[in-house]
Amino acid sequence: MTYVIGKECIDVQDHSCVDACPVDCIYEGPRKNYINPLECIDCGACEIVCPEVAIFPGRKARTEERREFTADNAAFFSLPLPGRSEPLGSPGGAEQLGPVGADTPLVDGWPRQ
Amino acid sequence: MRLHPPVGDASCDVTVIGAGPTGLFAAYYAGFRGLSVTVVDAQSAVGGQVAALYPAKTIHDVAGFPSVTGAELVARLVDQAMVYGPRMVLGHQAVDIVGGPAGSSLRVTLDDGTEIRSRAVILATGVGGIRPRTLPSGDVWHGRGVTYLVPEPGAHQGEDVVIVGGGDSALDWALQLQPIARAVTVIHRRKAFRAHAASLRRAAGLGIELLTECEIEEFRGAGRLASVVIRDVTGARREIPADTVVGALGVISAPSPFAEWGIEVQGRRLPVDSTMSTNVDGVFAIGDVSTYRGKIALIATGFGEAATAVNNVAVMIDPAEPLAPEHSTDESVVPQAAAHRDAEVVTA
Repeated sequence: MTYVIGKECIDVQDHSCVDACPVDCIYEGPRKNYINPLECIDCGACEIVCPEVAIFPGRKARTEERREFTADNAAFFSLPLPGRSEPLGSPGGAEQLGPVGADTPLVDGWPRQ
Repeated sequence: MRLHPPVGDASCDVTVIGAGPTGLFAAYYAGFRGLSVTVVDAQSAVGGQVAALYPAKTIHDVAGFPSVTGAELVARLVDQAMVYGPRMVLGHQAVDIVGGPAGSSLRVTLDDGTEIRSRAVILATGVGGIRPRTLPSGDVWHGRGVTYLVPEPGAHQGEDVVIVGGGDSALDWALQLQPIARAVTVIHRRKAFRAHAASLRRAAGLGIELLTECEIEEFRGAGRLASVVIRDVTGARREIPADTVVGALGVISAPSPFAEWGIEVQGRRLPVDSTMSTNVDGVFAIGDVSTYRGKIALIATGFGEAATAVNNVAVMIDPAEPLAPEHSTDESVVPQAAAHRDAEVVTA
């Protein structure tokens, strides 16, 4: 189980986590960032730099909402995003991929913060 | 235990690439099995990811240690490995591995051109070497004004210095260079700096210009760097003098080019069989870089993989050797080393 970004990131996207991640596995959607569970090495460098305290280890998702975001982070990569036919999978680095032009349906439908 | 003389043209029996926990334990274990070993790591310090990313974190799932910090675990692994005096080659990256005909040694080439010949190679490279994150457009300027390290602040006397980054290392370098340089500017692409507020206040008080939501759009100079063009979030541009640009964008892992070495790769990992052997004869993989059905990337499992790999290496080198080791309890060297370490603790 890897680190997960929660709802606190939506419409904020400070991106400090992206700068701190040593394996460049934090991908940028239009409204929220997502950690790729296939690429995360579970080091925790992102958790401590997030000013929104949005990041938590997935295994410590105690509330229903946090469990929902844990599944949603994984779904960003394992299911085709709106308007796409293929899932993102493991692109092997967020920087070279650039911003991903879509969020998950959960985030897309989230009330503006 | 008997010490093998290195066979043929080999300079040692086994080369371990990666000095993280798993690689260090493999080095110990190779010594215990009577194999001569060279340990290579791209970093100048041992401990790999644990030392680089979370030395102060407490680890609870290493057998025998209810609680141990990353730094202490690494120190103990070094003590254990050093019992057999492995050759340590730190600060050098393995850039190539070439096999030869059956029975001959493998050649590991390092970034300085040095070659290590050994009968077996154990890859314990984890997530890969850690290198500084490079500036988006600065590659061609590297060494001509763009740098990622400030080993000698004095070398920047009287210069206009631009530091790129928003964390503590960016501000630390800015504060260090401010008394020496002509002017120091720190630019960060995000809305806010992550560095400590006290460092930011001190920097601002010293006249260091701190710019957020800015990026370097262009590097300019004839031969050597002379200025950079900065673009802010509104699209406004300005050119500022820059003799040196320091990239302080943190680190990123860089996996070795295993596929180019003929090693089968699955994602970032190397599939191995139950002996921890890759598809290339004599090349084994252990720890986080290895994968197999049911693989769990933990220090705890990495230690077991190290023992499995080394015992199989011993048989590969000398088929007359038994796969199972002697009991470590038969070794007289280990208790001596432990006594030595305890003595050090007492006098510390």
